[in-house]
Amino acid sequence: MEQTVVKASSNRKLGSATSRRLRREGQLPGVLYGLGKDPVNVQVTYTELRDALKTDAGLNTVFHLSVDGVDDLVLVKEVQRHPVRREVIHVDFLRIDATQTLSVDIPIHMVGEAEEALNAGLLVDQILFSLTVECSPTAIPDSLEADISILTGDRNVMVGDIKLPAGVVTSVDPEDPVVSTVVPRALVEEVVEGEEVEGEEAVAEGEGEESAEGDDAGDGGGDQE
Amino acid sequence: MLMPKKVAHRKHHRGRTRGTAKGSTQVNFGEYGIQAVEPGWITSRQIEAARIAMTRHVKRGGKVWINVFPDKPVTAKPAETRMGSGKGNPEHWVAVVKPGRILFELAYPDEVIARGALNRAIQKLPIKARIVTREDGFDG
Repeated sequence: MEQTVVKASSNRKLGSATSRRLRREGQLPGVLYGLGKDPVNVQVTYTELRDALKTDAGLNTVFHLSVDGVDDLVLVKEVQRHPVRREVIHVDFLRIDATQTLSVDIPIHMVGEAEEALNAGLLVDQILFSLTVECSPTAIPDSLEADISILTGDRNVMVGDIKLPAGVVTSVDPEDPVVSTVVPRALVEEVVEGEEVEGEEAVAEGEGEESAEGDDAGDGGGDQE
Repeated sequence: MLMPKKVAHRKHHRGRTRGTAKGSTQVNFGEYGIQAVEPGWITSRQIEAARIAMTRHVKRGGKVWINVFPDKPVTAKPAETRMGSGKGNPEHWVAVVKPGRILFELAYPDEVIARGALNRAIQKLPIKARIVTREDGFDG
């Protein structure tokens, strides 16, 4: 268990103007809640919190938050960022019990080489970037690994293929895809053109019929190109 | 080009664009995105031009997401028309964009080519925009 202690004070004033003033002074507004206790508005030193979270676990680091001398074991539940500057403007701290299991999102990293898929001209597409798991605070993994060497045109990497460490379980459907392959549109068109040429030859032999050409017009979101 | 299938009102007021985007400010689907850094109207033609520029650069590989939809009609009066006689006819469709909004997302294995594609798409837009990547960790 990490023994990092981050100091916080609870006497901050609320409101956007005072919060802005706090940020200018190197402080970060936040809120502490959980375990059935009352929520407390806190402020922490930005650099102190940033250093506490500079571990392999990143945002899933468990540490102690000392609010006016009262220690709580906490986890960063949510980070709010400025939409344009992207700097952190507010943090939610969740009180946790070291003896109870909790639910955390663990990032998924791809490992290995998808040789079979790449040789077939397919593209590797990661669909799931983090997995929600249940575990004790002492057993939170830093990251999960999705081995993409099993990836083929017909075989995706599923949630069930990810090896979870001991004491870590997930309620996500094991059949949910994590990494899949995408057939590039250029490859699809080559195949279609090849078929059309064959079709035209057959038509020329048998006389008559016209072949319809595919429409290349683009559509909306989630466009596979 | 993108446009609504049907609308409740054919002609809209112009409105004002104040503040920053309230949603769609992070890359959620792909690995890279184009983020608006100033407000503006993006027409359906500009969205389509950006999409084509991007997909041609990645040679039709990769995966593109368009996160804005042009749902606001813009009217215009014909040339050399006297003032009056009511509001003009709907001419085109625009998406109202606020700073911080992710406009496009792209998934492509090669970062150099992906950035090249996004840069070409940015050139087609009428507002300042920048390339952003998926946020990871406290410092982004």
